[in-house]
Amino acid sequence: MSYDTASASLSHAQAEPRTKERKALSVRLRGVWPYIYLLPAVLSIAFWVYRPLAQTFQLSFYQWNLLPTSPKTFVGWGNFEKLLTLPAMSKALWNTLFYTIGVIPFSLIVPIAIAIATDNIGKRSRNVYRALIFLPMIMAPVAVSSVWRWIMHPTNGILNQTLQSVFGLKEPIPFFTDGKWAIWSITFITGWKLIGFSTLIFSAAMTNINKEYFEAARMDRANRWQIIRYVILPLLSPTILFMAMLSTLFASEWSFTYINVLTQGGPVNATTNIYYLLWTYGFQTFSVGWSSAAAVVLFLGFGLIAVGFMALTRKLSFFDD
Amino acid sequence: MGNGTRGFRAAPAGKHAVLIALGFLAVFPLYWMINTSFKPDTEVFSSSLLPRHWTFDNYRTAWNSVPMARMLTNSLAVALLQTGTQLFTSILAAFAFTRWTFKGSSLIYGLIGLTWLVPFQVIMIPNYVMISSFGWRDSLMGLVVPNIASAFAVLQLFNTFKSFPRALIEAARLDGASDWKVLWRTIFPNLRSAIASIGILLFITAWNDYFWPLLVTTKMEHSTIQKGLQMFMSSEMNLWGPLMAATTIASLPVLVIYLILQRQIIDSFVKGGLR
Repeated sequence: MSYDTASASLSHAQAEPRTKERKALSVRLRGVWPYIYLLPAVLSIAFWVYRPLAQTFQLSFYQWNLLPTSPKTFVGWGNFEKLLTLPAMSKALWNTLFYTIGVIPFSLIVPIAIAIATDNIGKRSRNVYRALIFLPMIMAPVAVSSVWRWIMHPTNGILNQTLQSVFGLKEPIPFFTDGKWAIWSITFITGWKLIGFSTLIFSAAMTNINKEYFEAARMDRANRWQIIRYVILPLLSPTILFMAMLSTLFASEWSFTYINVLTQGGPVNATTNIYYLLWTYGFQTFSVGWSSAAAVVLFLGFGLIAVGFMALTRKLSFFDD
Repeated sequence: MGNGTRGFRAAPAGKHAVLIALGFLAVFPLYWMINTSFKPDTEVFSSSLLPRHWTFDNYRTAWNSVPMARMLTNSLAVALLQTGTQLFTSILAAFAFTRWTFKGSSLIYGLIGLTWLVPFQVIMIPNYVMISSFGWRDSLMGLVVPNIASAFAVLQLFNTFKSFPRALIEAARLDGASDWKVLWRTIFPNLRSAIASIGILLFITAWNDYFWPLLVTTKMEHSTIQKGLQMFMSSEMNLWGPLMAATTIASLPVLVIYLILQRQIIDSFVKGGLR
């Protein structure tokens, strides 16, 4: 095939000046250029994302301890069956659900309320608030952990001091060492980092709503709650779905650093979640098979959730004007 | 009713109260970090809102008890290299998607876009094994090479490139410019500020990254400042002054960038979503 084109262009070139020959060559190459430009990004993503993904699927059927010298033993579905019986697993799944739901007030409820309540604020003050509210988002998770550990320290932290002196709390709260409190603390820190970002997203969506809708609704004697319920929330629904998807898929992943730095999953697995469990199995007990099997389950589960959200978004996209 | 069209919800004072409360919640930890970092030992446990005697002792202690300069240099090198390579690979990719219609383009684009569904923890073991087999643990290569492409950057840049007028590209092509020249002489200079703001996001992400350095580095001298901060935290349990000083140092570059460019940073974050 390429031989044909080459000879054709050659015979052509004899009749025409040299530029034609160059052109024919470039025509032939044109089909290749997009792939050449894509090559670095695609190769890297294939090699560092999709190759390991395939390997994780493969490793989930083997028993292995991460040592290059030790052999991998094929165990079939054994790792998956094992997962069902591991006590930490059910705790981790339960906590994953806890983080996912616990972050919703920070990613959806409060931001939506604030965005609606503070719509139409003066431009200059809006920029100041934006700059302040957004700050947690750019802070490094490790730095965030370090600061909150100090603020929430049981005896010397400013939070417990304030609770005791101002609100008359008797016993200081052991925010990270008490199993009952620890998961709330981690959820709070995860949400704290997120709340400003979500508020800005919803504020931006509010700004984009055509205010004539409100006027029209008012003409029809709708009251403020009716306007929120029947005008604003439907118009915000694409944004709400988008943030709901982000927060469902990533709440547990975002809490990883705080768990790792502040509680290491403890006390007694009280704060561990599925992501942290993958980590513990992989790099502390070196049970690569378990970790990979859990990773496969996690990947497929969250993939299904994402597909669900995307289908829902498509269904509701007529709001998008 | 007269005010109906513009002021919608709460009274202006109420709006400001809500936003001030949220702003306070966001800024207080940062303020408390800096406040503590300048307090002498005797004042660290007091709840005073400003140090009575300002001191740099905490910074000195933090700087001397861990190889701080070394870790900051590592972080800077990683963040700059990563940002540079990610921008380069994604500019090329975004250009390919904008310039040509070709077989498989939507499939390739889809596969790049879908990577956000693959969490780091799902692929960490094979990548760790790969880096180990290359002998790249505790090295700059090991930290940077897995991150030379960013799906986020490709998608963002493609959105930017799409808005570039096709007529200008065609005109440059008619003048005999090659595609390479069109990209770097026509498109790049015109979109420089958009590309820069994506670059800033990439830099912040790289500087703040913790997972990957946690995995591939073991010694403080080879690790980035984030990992170093975590190690400092677990070894010096209750030295709160020095710890807050170290935390401030680790956050400083990003805070400075934010102070100067917050408008662009917020805009591109809000536009691009997370990651």
